[in-house]
Amino acid sequence: MSTPYYIPDENVPLPPVDAEVITTACDYCIVACGYKVYRWPVKGGKNGGATADSNAFDADFPVAPLGPWVAPNQHNIVLHEGEPHHVVIIPDKDTEFVNTDGDSSLRGGCIAQKCYNPEKPTRDRLKSPMMRIYGILQPVTWDFALDIAAEIGKYVIKKHGHNAYGVKTFSYQYMENTYAISKYALRHINTANFTFHDTPSDVSSTPGFRDAGFDNFGPAYEDWMNAETLLICGTDPYETKTILFTQWIMKGIQNGQKAIFMVPRKTAGVAYAEQNGGLYLDVTPGTDLLVVNAIARIIVENGWQDKEWIEKWVNDKWGSSSGFGQGTRNTPWQWRTTWGKFQTNGFDDWAKWLLAQDEFKLENAAEVAGVDAAKIQLAAEMMAKPKADGTRPKTSVMIEKGFYWSNNTGNTQAISALGIIVGAGGRPGQVIGRAGGHQRGGVKGGKYPRNKSPMKLPGRRRRALDTDTWTMAGHTRLAHVIGTTWIQSMLGSQQMSARFHELTRGNPHQIQSINREKILETLKKRVDSGGMVVVNQDIYLVDPIGNQFADIIFPAATWGEEDFLRANGERRIRLYQKFYDAPGEAKPDWWIISQLAKKMGFSGFDWENSNDVAEELAKFTRGSRKDFNMVKVAAHREGKTLHEKFREMGTNGIQGPVYMNDDGSLEGTVRLHDTTRKLATDGPAALNMFNKKLTHFNSQTGKCNIQKSPWSLFSDYWEWMKPKGDELWCTSGRANERWQSGFDDTRRPYIVQRWPDNWVEINEEDAAKRGIESGDMVLLSNDRVPSLKDTTLGVEGSDYSFTGQLANGNVELSEAAVTAVAMVTRAVKPGVMYMDFLHASQPANALAGRVVDWISGNYNYKMGTAKVAKIGESPYKNSFRSMSFAPRDIVI
Amino acid sequence: MSQEVKNESGMTRKEAAKAVGHKCLVSRRNFLIGTGVTTTIMITMNAGTSEAKEVPAQITEYPRKFIAKLSELKEDEPFDFNYPDESDYSENMVVKMGVKAGGGVGPNQDVVAFNYACTHQGGSLDGSYKKDTKSLGACPLHLSTYDLTRHGILISGQAYQSLPQILLEVEGDDIYATGIFGLIYGRKDNLQG
Repeated sequence: MSTPYYIPDENVPLPPVDAEVITTACDYCIVACGYKVYRWPVKGGKNGGATADSNAFDADFPVAPLGPWVAPNQHNIVLHEGEPHHVVIIPDKDTEFVNTDGDSSLRGGCIAQKCYNPEKPTRDRLKSPMMRIYGILQPVTWDFALDIAAEIGKYVIKKHGHNAYGVKTFSYQYMENTYAISKYALRHINTANFTFHDTPSDVSSTPGFRDAGFDNFGPAYEDWMNAETLLICGTDPYETKTILFTQWIMKGIQNGQKAIFMVPRKTAGVAYAEQNGGLYLDVTPGTDLLVVNAIARIIVENGWQDKEWIEKWVNDKWGSSSGFGQGTRNTPWQWRTTWGKFQTNGFDDWAKWLLAQDEFKLENAAEVAGVDAAKIQLAAEMMAKPKADGTRPKTSVMIEKGFYWSNNTGNTQAISALGIIVGAGGRPGQVIGRAGGHQRGGVKGGKYPRNKSPMKLPGRRRRALDTDTWTMAGHTRLAHVIGTTWIQSMLGSQQMSARFHELTRGNPHQIQSINREKILETLKKRVDSGGMVVVNQDIYLVDPIGNQFADIIFPAATWGEEDFLRANGERRIRLYQKFYDAPGEAKPDWWIISQLAKKMGFSGFDWENSNDVAEELAKFTRGSRKDFNMVKVAAHREGKTLHEKFREMGTNGIQGPVYMNDDGSLEGTVRLHDTTRKLATDGPAALNMFNKKLTHFNSQTGKCNIQKSPWSLFSDYWEWMKPKGDELWCTSGRANERWQSGFDDTRRPYIVQRWPDNWVEINEEDAAKRGIESGDMVLLSNDRVPSLKDTTLGVEGSDYSFTGQLANGNVELSEAAVTAVAMVTRAVKPGVMYMDFLHASQPANALAGRVVDWISGNYNYKMGTAKVAKIGESPYKNSFRSMSFAPRDIVI
Repeated sequence: MSQEVKNESGMTRKEAAKAVGHKCLVSRRNFLIGTGVTTTIMITMNAGTSEAKEVPAQITEYPRKFIAKLSELKEDEPFDFNYPDESDYSENMVVKMGVKAGGGVGPNQDVVAFNYACTHQGGSLDGSYKKDTKSLGACPLHLSTYDLTRHGILISGQAYQSLPQILLEVEGDDIYATGIFGLIYGRKDNLQG
């Protein structure tokens, strides 16, 4: 951990001419900028000079703007093959894609500070497997730790069933790892108690996109630039996926693009758009659907919809009823639609429904959402009103978590319909998709056993298990937690933390021996008495899941310490190369899983290196958006390994799905659903495959489904969560500088100096009423945090709705309180507070209800509510070294 | 559409960036003739050969340089000066902000000085002082902003560190620059270019 005292250097070593150059991509946000690592030995003291002929950049210092400057935060010293080496890690100044201009964000720009260095705050990386004996985590051998984990794992499965073995894992941290983990958990353990870091249940993040037929990551980055009007919902890409903004959207805006932001908070990207002809729709949390449908209504009333597109690409009654080829009952499509709540008979049927809903009338929507009606009207005109010459504006739609984690099902259904009627999706500059969060590193090595889930929707199919409620109810006996905080990143965090304590350290059966048999006997008694064993696999000791609750810790190796594959937000797949030694005995997750799996008695885990895993998983990418099976085919033809072939592609990589031409060359896919793309008329040759999503949408017919999005399915929860009395909305999200919240950013002195404590933005009006000034320490509390008591089987139609859960007595209310430093600002909407989304000790998620979106199974994380009161002054109020209270909306 | 956006004068963004970054560039030769003599020791390289030339010896200590008179600074009006030399990115500003600031000098501790080169990718912050927020920026390249009351810490943006703060001393009414806190953009060493 770092303290907030950053002493900047006044010089930096440059790489010498003969420094080794290794390509990689940034570990952090969805954009995955290309980077170059310059590595040279410390021994000999041979650094580069200020002249072009004496450094690896071939550049004279001082360098020009945008040049290969090295900030002190871009240098580090690491061990490579046991010898200390300098590394300088800067954005690839020659790259043709993604971070063109050699641009970087603050996050990736300082990624050299991620590397383990015993003289820096990264010194506390996990270096050895550990076991909690007499309450203290002690180093043990890999063999011992794996043996105990496997034995108790086998016991739990045999005695308490597959669903008692819970796996909570990252979804993104490299394909080799996610494949190994999911092969282990889903194919071999076959547990329904499995989910990812950002959701309580293994379900689609964007149910509306899925139903409409849109891939989350269909668009290319150039499309976001080339749109003439761009609606951005629930994110400011400048803050959280910077280069997507600075290299693509910002250039679009400079060329006249009108960018419309629908967010409750004005950060630099929003302010820049507004200053340059765009629009800021300052929506009240949770009311996005109303604004989206009000825009749609204006478009329909004026006949501005893209009639030609709708005629050709929207399903009619027969098309929308044709199912997804998975049988008529057991598909998400069927259970969502057969109530008649969503499905339509096509555009006219949808428009008739839209016009019949009073809440979508401009004045009504504007009032509930707290957005000026004139701005909503203007947004509709920007998006769809034909120009003087009769042509339509090229409009695109981007969404992200502020939007789809507010009313998960409703918002994503509504935006899909709006996207369809403005002709977004399927053409250059006219696209719809997610902006993205983490990178795309998921490949499944097994199928989720849905029919083992004890949750069932009324009259319909089973739904993926809500693992939080399942665990809170005491059904998880072994929690295998991989690379996630779990507790603080899920809702009702403080109740979860208390319950985890009760199930683990609060259980009388604690290891007090180093004898294998006695340890196993103790852990068996723990799980048999209703307690839980925690196995935690991570790169740092995470509090509290590892630090306080885990019985066994496996130290993981990460970025730069192993060769890994991953895709970015335009499906560009690159090799992230190993360039230094992992600390101590830390091992990549795929290795840990393979060893554990073998001890569990599972076959198919005999990999020797990460390329072996990659070559096995390549075939499982077929048909997916990151299909790169043909890269493996090409590699083998050329006598190379898959990783070698990707290494040759450097920071360019290739965009999935990848196609092999007749001459053996490889061709990427610029955008999915590309209705302008011409594929070979004689079909795919050899091992190639033409997936429908290349040129059509993800539905049975290949056309879009236009769906209804009733407000009433969510309004009961919204009304309930809505601030009462002197409460305010307390929503949350990432701040650019502290994007990597949980581990790396807490170990960067400059970032800790900038953000030394949890913080909350409060509008000037709200603060004045409560006597709060910037720098005050405030207490945010909520005495009515709802949470679900147990997983249920739905019988009646309304059982799963919030009203139904309340009526059935399955909702429990509890209290939550977190502290923060107040930042009084003009840049957040009155009535709304905005908090850092994940401070380990003061999690914003504690203030939001642990109630899943009843239709999708996701959480609506952004629906937090709190009272706020001053409890004193923080040390930052009247000192100058740390933090800043200036607003984040200052533009040129 | 090409990614190369041109501005009103037909320059690409890259060209414009280079132009702003070098706006106040004074050649090293002019610098030597002009002001640097108090702190720069000249040595002759390759003496006696055809390549003989006079260059400044490495400066190993920050020069102490007079930059302005306290009484002449007007509130919220930045005054520009060069430091620690007159080479690339030596352009700085001193400003009396009217509010107490980290590292501030003068009776109200409200006079501070900062380098103008954005520590992200070297865009010039010249002309971007905002009196309502006591800040520099947004940088025209990628919108970074800096809080001048708090040692130039990044408010919002992409820079890899705070804006280098010029250390000031006051003697009577005279303000002197005496050092720099933080590496100036583009350089590998503040004093060696």
